Amino acid sequence: MTFINEPALELRRAEVRDRATAALADLDARLPIDVPVLIDGRPAPGTPFDSVDPGNPATVVARVQGASAAQADTAVAAAAAAYPEWSARTGHERAEIVRRAAALLRSNRLGAAALAVRECGKPWADADADVCEAIDFLEYYANGAAAMDDGQPLLQMPGERNALRYVGRGVTAVIAPWNFPLAIATGMVSAALVTGNTVVFKPAEQAPACARLVVDALHAAGVPHGALALLPGGDEPGKALVAHPGVHTIAFTGSCAAGLSILETAARLAPGQRHIKRVVAEMGGKNCVVVDEDADLDDAVPGIVASAFAFAGQKCSAASRVLVHEAIADDLIERLSGAIATLQVGPAEDFATDVPPVIDREAQERVASYVDKGGAPAAQAPAAGDAAADGGPAVSSDGYYARPTLFVDLPEDHPVVTEEIFGPVLAVQRVPSIDAACEIVDAGTFALTGGIYSRSPRTIESFVRRSPVGNVYVNQPITGAMVGRQPFGGGRLSGTGPKAGGPDYLLQFVEARSVSEDTVRHGLVV
Amino acid sequence: MSTTIPPTPTGAAVPPGADRPSAPAGPPSPAPGGSGTTAPSGGAQPHSPAEREAAIRRVGAELDRALPRPSRSPMAFAERRAMAQLMDDPELKAAVFRFVDVRPACADAPALARHLAELLEDAEGSRLGRRGAKMASGRGTRRLTAGVASVGVRGMAQRFIVGEDAATAVPGIERMWRDGAASTVDLLGETTVTEAEAESYYARCAETLRTLHDAAQTWPAQRLLEVDAAGPIPRVNLSVKVSALTPLLRAHAPERGIAGATERLRGLLRIARDTGAHLHVDMESFDTRESITELTLRLLSEPEFQAGPSAGIVLQGYLTESPEHLERLLSWAGSSNRSSPFTIRLVKGAYWDHEVIDATRHGWAPPVFQDRRACDRNYEALSRRLIDASLTGRVRAAIASHNLRSIAAAAAYADEVGADIEFQVLRGLGDETMQALVKTGRRVRCYSPVGDLVAGMAYLVRRLLENTSNDSFLSAQAKGTDLDTLLEAP
Repeated sequence: MTFINEPALELRRAEVRDRATAALADLDARLPIDVPVLIDGRPAPGTPFDSVDPGNPATVVARVQGASAAQADTAVAAAAAAYPEWSARTGHERAEIVRRAAALLRSNRLGAAALAVRECGKPWADADADVCEAIDFLEYYANGAAAMDDGQPLLQMPGERNALRYVGRGVTAVIAPWNFPLAIATGMVSAALVTGNTVVFKPAEQAPACARLVVDALHAAGVPHGALALLPGGDEPGKALVAHPGVHTIAFTGSCAAGLSILETAARLAPGQRHIKRVVAEMGGKNCVVVDEDADLDDAVPGIVASAFAFAGQKCSAASRVLVHEAIADDLIERLSGAIATLQVGPAEDFATDVPPVIDREAQERVASYVDKGGAPAAQAPAAGDAAADGGPAVSSDGYYARPTLFVDLPEDHPVVTEEIFGPVLAVQRVPSIDAACEIVDAGTFALTGGIYSRSPRTIESFVRRSPVGNVYVNQPITGAMVGRQPFGGGRLSGTGPKAGGPDYLLQFVEARSVSEDTVRHGLVV
Repeated sequence: MSTTIPPTPTGAAVPPGADRPSAPAGPPSPAPGGSGTTAPSGGAQPHSPAEREAAIRRVGAELDRALPRPSRSPMAFAERRAMAQLMDDPELKAAVFRFVDVRPACADAPALARHLAELLEDAEGSRLGRRGAKMASGRGTRRLTAGVASVGVRGMAQRFIVGEDAATAVPGIERMWRDGAASTVDLLGETTVTEAEAESYYARCAETLRTLHDAAQTWPAQRLLEVDAAGPIPRVNLSVKVSALTPLLRAHAPERGIAGATERLRGLLRIARDTGAHLHVDMESFDTRESITELTLRLLSEPEFQAGPSAGIVLQGYLTESPEHLERLLSWAGSSNRSSPFTIRLVKGAYWDHEVIDATRHGWAPPVFQDRRACDRNYEALSRRLIDASLTGRVRAAIASHNLRSIAAAAAYADEVGADIEFQVLRGLGDETMQALVKTGRRVRCYSPVGDLVAGMAYLVRRLLENTSNDSFLSAQAKGTDLDTLLEAP
């Protein structure tokens, strides 16, 4: 089936915005959502905790049962028991089920987006893009799995029939982040399922209700209950899954520190373990946008602002550094500062909001500590509520807001320049040439996304060639990778390099099995 | 005085004079040449489709005869040929446009030469491109080639731009006035991303209104340009862009842009009122249409603007929803108690590629017609509706087009129903059309950009792309398409 991206909501039309607002009101009337531990389709109690609206923490979005290490054990056992039947189905069969899940999500577009708005503070356009990307992953991986049924062409000899088939690996633990609470969770879970694995899914503590929505859709579409378990909670179930001898693959998206720790644990053979665990990890970034002296600042300034501050900079692809040619630096800094001053910080559900709250108190404090360290900022957006016009939704003073902040000319080894902040903070540095910028980019520990604004074909070519990052963007924002168009993922400490939403991603979740049959009988090819 | 403007879908004329302010001028003067132009018919029977088509042909042929011949303007002829050549060489065209685009960002001659050489190298498939690349990178020819190219770009830009600022634009605008054409000035500039930039655009607009006001005092009387059936027409006319008046336009939150631009647009309306100028609000991409429309109508409804200034807005005929949008504008104008009529400039729309790309990338149906003929048919239908509405005196119809057929259709229809309308063209692209319209006694206004080279380049690139697109009327004309084909009903 030909893949096309799910169309975004046309939020520029008032009637579409009205429907979105109505969907959010519907959701609010149903809060809080119960999220149990779900093993074999049976809800079980755990250690209770809540997920809240980052813009107004008094609003409880979900009452959650946190899973224990013992429950992780039970879930892995259930998934192992479900594996033989599920993996015995054809790729086509599993693809059909996954496509049905896509259809279910599609029929609940606004409801799903509303949940991401409420639970993760994603502004509408980002929340909707999250739903679309989830649908895209389902469709794209369904196509990929169906195609895998055909295997790969091999050299054939007379009387010898050779085939290369792909089979599932076993139980997959999926540990997902909150920043793309629907898309990334759906992508990792569905990639594992559609290739014949069974899944134990541990979502982010901050996004359990979104996780339940994904799991419900997959179960309703026909994924056997045993083949997909949900373990809400914090570190405990996650750590238990990573160390579990029954887990074959770990699909993880999150921080660099957590990713490295998973890789280390997964490399140790646990008692009773008879296989090597594979870790599919997508970690952080410290992404640079390079601005050449011939760049069109009319494009570069809005592009950088969008890359750095959309969703409060909480995308692993977000820009956190700008390396600008000194010849154009003053202009860029002046315009960028002015543009940042126009940003409106406010609740995610307000269509007028440019920058929503960050995810939780801890994130808010982390961002604040970096802003402190940076000294006097070159520019800062007004605090939440300060720039809002009358008539919009109320801005709670308890919301986890952080002001978009620009620093200029910090030393090369300053923490704001070198560390992943995961918030709305941007550092601009001057460079004498694009070569110098390339050297700085190349010296980084992360290699996820990067971009250049330039109108010289040779400079662009050279930048692309020298850039170590997984996703290079030329004359456009560096976030918002689309499934099937910009396969996403980086190298170095940014991850193990699988390209989510690309043609090679599913290979991480399968074993290749080569089958060779001698068809000669009594000296004749039969 | 509140008048509703009834729809007249059949194109039947509203009885003229029924609700029309007493006009200082009589009905619009028919073409002085009078070569077959239908005289305004007053309350006569509406024409049959065949009669109407014949009238369009007559008016079209008359305009065509009035076009300056290429032999009389060899520069224009050479340029047309160059443009036609570019159209047949897409790689070279891309290289040339990219060079024009980057030209103002090149600090010196070596930077110019480097960009030119790189861009031409990329036009591998083009013979001319390869030759140019050699010249632009060769040791002996490098500087010269870059210099020529740079001067060429500057020359082109100057054809589209009437001056660097209001003061330097005045002579060109006055010359046009003396030659029988009015103007509307458009201030080019960088994209507004900061409040400071919005403020500076506001200040330039204010300064321009004052400079033009002072200059226009000494211009000779031009009755056709100063009075129409609905009353006096200001000599000074400024077109403003809301996107330049505020950095806060947001597609998902029209109220933010409205709030951001209100004070500045109100300030300009006051200056226009106090200096007796016309202020026209341009339309831009579809993302901003709601903000621009709401902002304009709200401000013009404020009591302080009841007596002035003369003001207007733009209707983009390429939008599939434009008929509904026109009804909204007409209904507002009909119920407004402003003393001057509301001018609606009907354009095809300049953001077609942007709208299609933007919509396609998001998976939306483009808001614009995809079929040129459907688009042209819509334009004609809109112009008839607008011309009908103008008979009430509550709106003025400004038909902005370079398409001879569209112009002829509007002119013939206006003649048929006895409406007094204005035509508009773009400086640099519509110069010849303007001359023909002047010569045939039609009221014409030239949209005249003002700005420096840096600011002008984005504008220039857009205009050049428009001019060389295969769907463009002008390019068909430049290729020598015969008149019958050019005047064919869409």
